[in-house]
Amino acid sequence: MIPIRALFLLVLMVASSAWAQGPAYDIGVDGLSCPFCAYGIEKQLHKLDGVEKVETDIEKAVVVVRVKDGSTLDRNQAMKAVKKAGFSLRSFEQSEEK
Amino acid sequence: MMTKMRGPTEIALGLGLFLGLSGGAYGHDPVFGPGPHVLFEGGTEIHTEFHRSERGDDTENEAAIALKYGLTGDWVVGLELPYQFVKESGERNDGVGDITFSTKYRFWRHDTLGVQESMAALLKVKPDSSNSGGTPSLGSGSSDTVAGLTYGYESLKWYRWASLRYRYNGKTDEGLHRGDKLLVDLAGGIRLTPPNYWKPDTVWFLELNGEIDERAELDGRKLSNSGGQEWFFSPGVMWTVRNFAVKAGVQLPLMSDLNGDQDESDYRARLEFEWHL
Repeated sequence: MIPIRALFLLVLMVASSAWAQGPAYDIGVDGLSCPFCAYGIEKQLHKLDGVEKVETDIEKAVVVVRVKDGSTLDRNQAMKAVKKAGFSLRSFEQSEEK
Repeated sequence: MMTKMRGPTEIALGLGLFLGLSGGAYGHDPVFGPGPHVLFEGGTEIHTEFHRSERGDDTENEAAIALKYGLTGDWVVGLELPYQFVKESGERNDGVGDITFSTKYRFWRHDTLGVQESMAALLKVKPDSSNSGGTPSLGSGSSDTVAGLTYGYESLKWYRWASLRYRYNGKTDEGLHRGDKLLVDLAGGIRLTPPNYWKPDTVWFLELNGEIDERAELDGRKLSNSGGQEWFFSPGVMWTVRNFAVKAGVQLPLMSDLNGDQDESDYRARLEFEWHL
């Protein structure tokens, strides 16, 4: 039987790793019209240091990027990544919810 | 002075109609005509395609593998290697055909919310590289070049493209100069279901492809049974899941005005698989 203390520590570790997520950014991309093309944006953004997760919403033309705790992403980095993927940056802002 | 074609010359002309004309499509380009699509910077594309064409008693099947690389977000280079199975005038042959080098540069792009409009210049060079023996020959026997311009409009629902290409055919060792070719393509596309990044996406195409050939020349004499024009009506489809695409289409003759005694195209079909890495 697993001791209650060990179980508590395990739950705490899982929970703390979720709490340790870094900030997320909403990147508006102009020219985005198909999923096949959007793959390039995902590839370019994943090359950036600290990027943990990239989610693309084609219909809204927004890419949400989450970075590791302690990392940040700036507008210039996002603009370069979007340009390398063959699109144009429309907007860049930090997401309100973490 | 007009001259009737004979044996090997006729074979070379028949082959030349299809070889190296592969659209070399990228991403959401039409199946037969080119579009302005390129690859993302540092991206690699593995592309395989299968063609079949029938014209009278002649058939040609071709399987090709192409590799493409995105130099920048607007510039791509590629290399294509075909393997061909050809049946002409009752004779069969198969082997590696001519290698093709290609590049496309997107020189204009207008991005708005959910829409991308762009124009690109493309260049394909096909040296006389096939050394497979036998008859019919597998390469065109000459070094050929295709240069063109293409325009594309892509939105979440509607697509449209237009392109103009000119193919300059070199001269074979036997002194045959297949006529140069002007290629005109107009295409439209529609996506019936709104796209989702993680779900399969389907776009339906309808193309109009025109090919206008000059007469061939042998030792300076124009060949009577060569040249003319053919127009095709070409339905097609593209199905993608994230970074993998399948494209298929068939070219059905719409109008044919060929000089002299030449078989008209019955149909051409193409199936492509494309993987972006």
